[in-house]
Amino acid sequence: MSELLIELFSEEIPSNLQINARKQLENLLKQNLSSSNLEPKTLEIFSTPTRLAIFITGLPKIIKIPSTEVKGPKVGVSEDVINNYAKSKNLNISDLLEKKTEKGNFYFAKIKGREINTENELAKLIPLALKDISWKKSMKWSDFELNWGRPLISILAIFNEKLLKFKFAHLETVNFTMLETEDQIKQIKVKSFYDYTNLLRKNEIILDHNERSEYILKKIISICKKKSCKETVNQSLLTEVSNLVDKPNIITATFDKSYLELPKEIIRSTLQTHQRYFTLVDLKNRMLNEFIIVANNKDEKKLIKTGNERVVEARLSDANFFWNRDKSYNLIKQINKLKKIVFYENLGTVYDKTQRLRKMAYFISDQLNINKEKLEIASSVSKSDLASDLVSEFPELQGEMGKYFALNQGFEQDVSNAISEHYLPIGNSSIIPKKPISYSLSILDKLDNLVGFYLINEKPTSSKDPFALRRSAIGLLRTIIENNLVIKISDLIDYFIRIYLDQGVKEKNTQSKKELINFLRERMKNILKEKRIRTDIIEASISSHNNDNFLELYKKTLIMNKFISKELGKNAVSTYKRASNILEQERLISKDGPDAVLFKEEEEKELFDRINIIRKAFTVKEDRKNYEEHLKLLSDTKLSTDKFFEKVKVNDDNNDIKNNRLELLQILCSTFNTFVDFSKLEGS
Amino acid sequence: MPKKIKNKKNFFTFQDVVFNLQKYWGKYGCVILQPYDLEVGAGTFHPATTLRSLGPKPWKAAYVQPSRRPTDGRYGKNPNRLQHYYQFQVIIKPSPKNIKQVYLKSLSSIGIIAKDHDIRFVEDDWESPTLGAAGLGWEVWCDGMEITQFTYFQKMTGIECKPISVELTYGLERICMFVQQKKNIFDIDWNSEGVKYKDVYFQSEKEFSAYNFDHANTDFLLKNFEMAESECKSLLEKKLSLPAYDQCLKASHIFNLLDSRGVISVAERTGYINRIRELAKGSGSIWLDNQIEK
Repeated sequence: MSELLIELFSEEIPSNLQINARKQLENLLKQNLSSSNLEPKTLEIFSTPTRLAIFITGLPKIIKIPSTEVKGPKVGVSEDVINNYAKSKNLNISDLLEKKTEKGNFYFAKIKGREINTENELAKLIPLALKDISWKKSMKWSDFELNWGRPLISILAIFNEKLLKFKFAHLETVNFTMLETEDQIKQIKVKSFYDYTNLLRKNEIILDHNERSEYILKKIISICKKKSCKETVNQSLLTEVSNLVDKPNIITATFDKSYLELPKEIIRSTLQTHQRYFTLVDLKNRMLNEFIIVANNKDEKKLIKTGNERVVEARLSDANFFWNRDKSYNLIKQINKLKKIVFYENLGTVYDKTQRLRKMAYFISDQLNINKEKLEIASSVSKSDLASDLVSEFPELQGEMGKYFALNQGFEQDVSNAISEHYLPIGNSSIIPKKPISYSLSILDKLDNLVGFYLINEKPTSSKDPFALRRSAIGLLRTIIENNLVIKISDLIDYFIRIYLDQGVKEKNTQSKKELINFLRERMKNILKEKRIRTDIIEASISSHNNDNFLELYKKTLIMNKFISKELGKNAVSTYKRASNILEQERLISKDGPDAVLFKEEEEKELFDRINIIRKAFTVKEDRKNYEEHLKLLSDTKLSTDKFFEKVKVNDDNNDIKNNRLELLQILCSTFNTFVDFSKLEGS
Repeated sequence: MPKKIKNKKNFFTFQDVVFNLQKYWGKYGCVILQPYDLEVGAGTFHPATTLRSLGPKPWKAAYVQPSRRPTDGRYGKNPNRLQHYYQFQVIIKPSPKNIKQVYLKSLSSIGIIAKDHDIRFVEDDWESPTLGAAGLGWEVWCDGMEITQFTYFQKMTGIECKPISVELTYGLERICMFVQQKKNIFDIDWNSEGVKYKDVYFQSEKEFSAYNFDHANTDFLLKNFEMAESECKSLLEKKLSLPAYDQCLKASHIFNLLDSRGVISVAERTGYINRIRELAKGSGSIWLDNQIEK
């Protein structure tokens, strides 16, 4: 079978750029091949740090393009147009055919079938695909014009055992690959993919990144088994490490047991994040003083193992030094040091932020009925760990370190936990804070970010969200919903804006509150859409929402969704539609609702009474509201409304009575709409 | 009495490492320069790198550069940190095709034989806001330890580089700790006569840490900053790029001292950095103009 092998040999390309280049190359090649009428049997992209390889099979030698008739201008248009069309197809006017179609008579050009040499076509389309890769970060080198992830050294291109000649930037394709040994680089001729992978394998290089990843994983799991450890492997680390080596060699190493007294997070950060080693934990979740190195070379003299152990020793001893010193620095005294850490340009320092959080703790603890003093303390010290050397060494441990410092200094457990948990949720699937001090602080911290960046007009756009405000907003809403919290967001935003302005922040966006609320509403829509709720129900709930209590919005939407096709929902919707249809026909200039004196029929009074019961039920305190009950009340009006429509003629001869009846229907509809905006619901 | 190291095979003292790198890169064709005679934060600040990486003329140079980072001082108490340390710097323009192999070979001249170790190129992109500079490259790891910065300059003093230079920065203390298997910088053997790093630099670390953190006269430094800045500007008007760049270096070091004294507030910080960058930019563009006029 025919095969095409391309290898782009370069200096070491970072992991994330490799992943991106693989994906893009695959898509670009598929597109370009198919637009050249080429359908490969297989198309695979592989990468190592220095090699980006394309392997395609099943391409024909010749591309056969069948003859076609291409529709041109309508018969009867000016000669110029016809002439131009003929020219564009390399034909004379006399060559054009006239054909009848449904839309009239048209000229057609008959294009003869052709045969194209695949090799020539590949030589054209491959450089185009290479050119179209958009690197997230790219560079130039030497005196060349090409932009690539890292310096591109050579391009091997073989089609059916022959060199496929083409030029790409300053490079011409060659029929050899490069092999680096120690400090030498050799050129080795390659005839086929089989040849190529064999050659690599002989030199212990695994070309296929998936194979490498599986190989590493298998080795790690077998070590875990041997040592009775948990067989959980950090997936993103595995991916990264697989892209950092081409001849993986798995080595187990150790560090001094005494370092196990350090917080686990420090050890894990040192080993995983900084050094890309795998840590081991036993079945009881205790960390071992052993770790796994994925080296890119054999370790015949055991130098690699001892070298890495020395590095870990130095790093842990450094961390230990900082830990012992930092944990004794009083977190309250450290607050002043935050004056030196900028929160964001034009938004003051982190110190200013903690002051805002502390002031806001006062308001939110009232709303949520939680311990004010504790929340104030937690807010004040929430960022103190940022001033420690440990966090400047291990920025990914912000919060975690603060928690340990706090516990060490005798802060209460829930205050300490809040220091680490207020950063939650970190991703869309991450857990949310569940304890009162933690979730309150988390809500304040996220709202502080949102309000601040909106105030200085650094809003996210459809493509850019550098301060991860979407994530903040979704995290905020999830924390509210999943903890069942009734919060007056609108008030909190007002307070935040006032405090920011008091601190001297210059407002660059006078619409910030309105825009922020809209932003939150949009995020809420997304959350609801992900729950596969009908869009008209989401629209109905959002439209009637007062922008304050997002929990209410969430709950009502879920209730509506649950009952919309059941008796309860159907009755409510049909009752509303019946009343609103009449109101649509009659133009009512509404005054202050119906006047009980003007009721003539019993059914009018009864309906009015029902409405009043509902309105009263709607005004109970937020935390006692039962939205299913509310919907039921609305649904139950069907009986009274049906009776009303049966017995009462709205269109009374007396204009006052007629208007009074319209007023009654009006108040009925507006009562429905305070639940959700029924006019937005599709009739069911 | 200091103990002599008796002709140990494959043992490289601190000064051996310097000699061998100089010899290696001298042979390769680099101009072997001496350290720049002003306080700088890294080998990159030497005009032989900053300014020579601009413009079209080819250039190859290597040199040791004593470097100062006042905030890294630990009064000689930390085994891994110094406020004054050494870099060995190589700058080559345009970057040669086989630079990776040339670099790996240089390691064997200082006792690191690539085939026995795990040498890794780990992504590390570099940016210097004070120099208005940026580059892409790696930190080179040897068995998990960072031993070199390997950078392709893309921009310097705000000017796009064309052609591109490659910069290699060896951390000499790190490398010596590695080849001599030491856990503490101060235990590094400086020569084979028994002189340790501690004998040469321990007192200096203690005294300078005290100066950097506690005693540097900040009023005086603030005035000096202003003076260096205004001198630089007036020299730029006279089209004297190298003397102007000297003043830029002085301003930069004074800023680092003020920073370590803790007198620069967060809001002021960016302002200072921008001011230094302006001086670097001015020096770079005039240096380039003067090159072309020749």
